[in-house]
Amino acid sequence: MSAGEVTQFEQWLGAPATVEGIGWLDDERRVALDRARALGIPVSKQEAWRYTSVKRLAEQGFVPVDESVTALQPEDIEEVLIQGLDSHRVVLVNGRYLPALSSLGDLPAGVRIGGLRQILASDPDALRGHLNRVAGDRQPLFSALNTAGLDDGLVVLMGPGSMLERPIELIHLSVGMDEPRVAQPRHLVVLDDGAQARLIERHVSLGQSIYCTNSVLELSLGADAVLEHQRIQDESPNAFHITGLYLRQGRGSSYRGVNLGLGAAWARTDLVVRFAGEHAECDLSGLYLAGERQLMDYHLDVDHRLPSCTSRETFKGILYGKGRAVFDGRVFVAEDAQKTDAAMSNKNLLLSEGAEVDTKPQLLINADDVKCSHGTTVGQIEPEMLFYLRSRGISAAVARRMLCLGFAGEILDRMRPDALREQVTDLVGRRLERAPLD
Amino acid sequence: MLSVKGLKANVGEKEILKGLDLDIGPGEVHAIMGPNGSGKSTFAHVLSGREGYQVTGGSVDFDGRDLLALEPEERAHAGLFLAFQYPVELPGVNNTYFLKAALNAIRKSRGEEELDAVSFMRLMREKLKILHLDDSLLKRPVNYGFSGGEKKRNEIFQMALLEPRLAILDETDSGLDIDALRIVADGVNALRNPERSMIVVTHYQRLLDYIEPDQVHVLARGRIIRSGGKDLALELEERGYGWILEEGAAA
Repeated sequence: MSAGEVTQFEQWLGAPATVEGIGWLDDERRVALDRARALGIPVSKQEAWRYTSVKRLAEQGFVPVDESVTALQPEDIEEVLIQGLDSHRVVLVNGRYLPALSSLGDLPAGVRIGGLRQILASDPDALRGHLNRVAGDRQPLFSALNTAGLDDGLVVLMGPGSMLERPIELIHLSVGMDEPRVAQPRHLVVLDDGAQARLIERHVSLGQSIYCTNSVLELSLGADAVLEHQRIQDESPNAFHITGLYLRQGRGSSYRGVNLGLGAAWARTDLVVRFAGEHAECDLSGLYLAGERQLMDYHLDVDHRLPSCTSRETFKGILYGKGRAVFDGRVFVAEDAQKTDAAMSNKNLLLSEGAEVDTKPQLLINADDVKCSHGTTVGQIEPEMLFYLRSRGISAAVARRMLCLGFAGEILDRMRPDALREQVTDLVGRRLERAPLD
Repeated sequence: MLSVKGLKANVGEKEILKGLDLDIGPGEVHAIMGPNGSGKSTFAHVLSGREGYQVTGGSVDFDGRDLLALEPEERAHAGLFLAFQYPVELPGVNNTYFLKAALNAIRKSRGEEELDAVSFMRLMREKLKILHLDDSLLKRPVNYGFSGGEKKRNEIFQMALLEPRLAILDETDSGLDIDALRIVADGVNALRNPERSMIVVTHYQRLLDYIEPDQVHVLARGRIIRSGGKDLALELEERGYGWILEEGAAA
């Protein structure tokens, strides 16, 4: 296939009731569509798609979601809520913000949380200069498609020095339709200088249907802003999930992101970090589980253009059955980025013969006064550890699960608050229980 | 309680145990001594069911059951406990969680009810005292970052908690200073009772100053070549293994 042939994916555009007629935004959409067409369908010759085929995705013939899910009642979503988690809750269903299911609660002065479509309709100027600025003009195909169809999602705008004590919880719920549908939620989080927030982002589904979520998040952190961000991807086992996360960090800002990849048959995540000021700290971590015929594909692109920034990339994977994962971590350190401190690690536990991981951590260093390291491991459960547990009366199956959870603990323990950590630890435990472990 | 007859075992192609016989009655403590490479640890591992050892002959009867036919966890359920020479570190696996899983697995196999969190903590605190262990160890990952002495004490602590019928202490004294050795030995002695038997595998006599055995066996070249009372250990301490090996070879 060559450039220009993105017709299968152009079908994703044209969601009904999109807010149009805002000049600058229509321009952004148009430019993005041109870019998508110019990029064409990804092929394995491209480094970013070397291990991942979009064939399965292209074959589905997804069409945009319609509006019929607005009939959901609050009790319909109770099963996806986390007990004991007190949050400013924003619920999107199939990419649409549904105020009736959300509970924003009281917000302090200087903090605005709402739906993208809502704000575009009432106050588009509030988003001008932010929306599509972090993602930039070099977006890869799926982000460009998201931008071309830019429609609805979460917007968080926090003024200078503002702070939220409770986390913002973004629940993206997918509900199966008769036809395979694609949702393209677009989220924008802007923390002005010194603002602080926590964001919990959960992708969940009702039922096991086939659908696609192609989401883009733009996170913009001003000077000294602090964002803690926990992402839990637990889509339907038959779903396709795509995330493009774009993070811009101002001077002295701090971002701490934990990515948990559990669901979907095919999941692709791009994490793109740009430092816009010195002394910023970025901590990216993640845990992925892939079994059955699942694919978990992670691409990290951390660009140290400026001096004295710190980044950590810590990803772990547990693969079983015929599960596959890709970890492509790229940390670039420019010539002028002296005093960069970067450490990347990717550790994988393979529980079966059929499981596979392609891991490729890369450090591209052009400065000479830096502290950088990377490491990768791919291993099995240590027989010694297994025997130790069994010698204490613990069955082989339970012992394997304990060791997997022990391996995962380094990442799971980063989940906050306790209610969320317990919920996801339990979720991972149950997922491993179902896994054929040999 | 334990009856080992003509036990033969290989590691890879190499025969390590060459017809080992041993009988242990309830409440008895037997020391197995011998030079390095005599097969002491192999014997302990074969009894506990570790992979990598092929039993090529003989039998092991444990309370009327064929021990060698059981999986490692089933041996633990039957009341066997191995205190490891090198306890394994389990990063990320919380010690309390591990101990609770082990105890409840064993209780369940005995048809007893699983302990709830409160009764379990009470039981742990009681057992911790025996080993003079700090309860901060319970919050850490199993053996991970423990000192050598802490690891060995954690082994005996597990034994106190799991209350086995037969405990095998594999070189529990190795790497311990005299104070740690005394604490471990006191812990073991506190667990002696008329129903519980022990096999103490050791290279040195010094542990037997603290844990007094009913019988001492010398294992060499895969066989028990001499058995006797605790005086035998003292004699070995004084004269080394050379004389007994020569006698064994001559016999």
